[in-house]
Amino acid sequence: MNIDVIYTNGHGIYVCAAFIFSFILCLGLFLKTKKVLKKLESEFKIEADHLSSMQIQNLKNSKIAKEILAPQTKAH
Amino acid sequence: MFKILTPSNLFIYLSKIIKFIKNIFIPITIISLIIALIYSPEDYVQGDSVRIMYVHVPSAWMSIMCFSVIGFLSILSFLFKFKNTILFYKSLAPVGLLFSIIAIVTGSLWGLPTWGTFWVWDARLTSMLILMMLYIFFILSYKLISNQKISTRICAIISILGLTNIFVIKYSVRWWSTLHQTDSVRILGDTTVHFTMLWPLGLMLFVFSLFGALIFLMKYKTEVIRIKKKGLRRL
Repeated sequence: MNIDVIYTNGHGIYVCAAFIFSFILCLGLFLKTKKVLKKLESEFKIEADHLSSMQIQNLKNSKIAKEILAPQTKAH
Repeated sequence: MFKILTPSNLFIYLSKIIKFIKNIFIPITIISLIIALIYSPEDYVQGDSVRIMYVHVPSAWMSIMCFSVIGFLSILSFLFKFKNTILFYKSLAPVGLLFSIIAIVTGSLWGLPTWGTFWVWDARLTSMLILMMLYIFFILSYKLISNQKISTRICAIISILGLTNIFVIKYSVRWWSTLHQTDSVRILGDTTVHFTMLWPLGLMLFVFSLFGALIFLMKYKTEVIRIKKKGLRRL
């Protein structure tokens, strides 16, 4: 067992660089994806909340329109 | 079966699966990192630099696996005009690109202490670089080309090239004399990696798979919401 993680017999700089690089890249993609998803979710919620009574009536009657919103309401 | 895979049906379960992966991801990653960096043994030739394997190998496998799926879906989408497959490959391509970048950069970082150089124009390294370029072209082709028909056709062409390149990546170390070592882990053959290193490698592969699944599902959800937003405007 080797507990000298940082130095690792002179290879520490390469090992640490590889792990840190991977971590930063993964974190970056995760944060970017999360940001876009949150933004779209909130925009969608606002648009859905502002539907006029006529649009809501259409929604109740139209099968396709129901499909547009149905899973969203089930998910939340 | 295809009806179950429609975006509307999948959307119901997306939030639950994303939440579940988020909950298990951090503890599993911490445990895997401790095992990979501390408890796994050093190599008798390469010393501790072998630990780079725990990020390099899983990311290379994942990038190849992602492109195989993307390629298959893209060809399916071109031949049978399945619109759902477009959503799938659009969500998977960025994850694959990320893994291919990690594989190339960590490979270079492993190359310096082992071979004495960051890069050589070796068949394995070059074919991995080509895979990364194909990922970039693939992403650009569906982002920049607004005409769906043309974009699907270009994506299918890139997929065929990519799938051919995957065979080159796989067999490059057997066909040519390369600086890169031959494959040590074989599904249908003898694995030359010792068990004490093999199971941490498997654990890290699981971590990378979880991360890939998480990003894929988040991107897929984003794409579905985009479609829903368009649909809402048409009401």
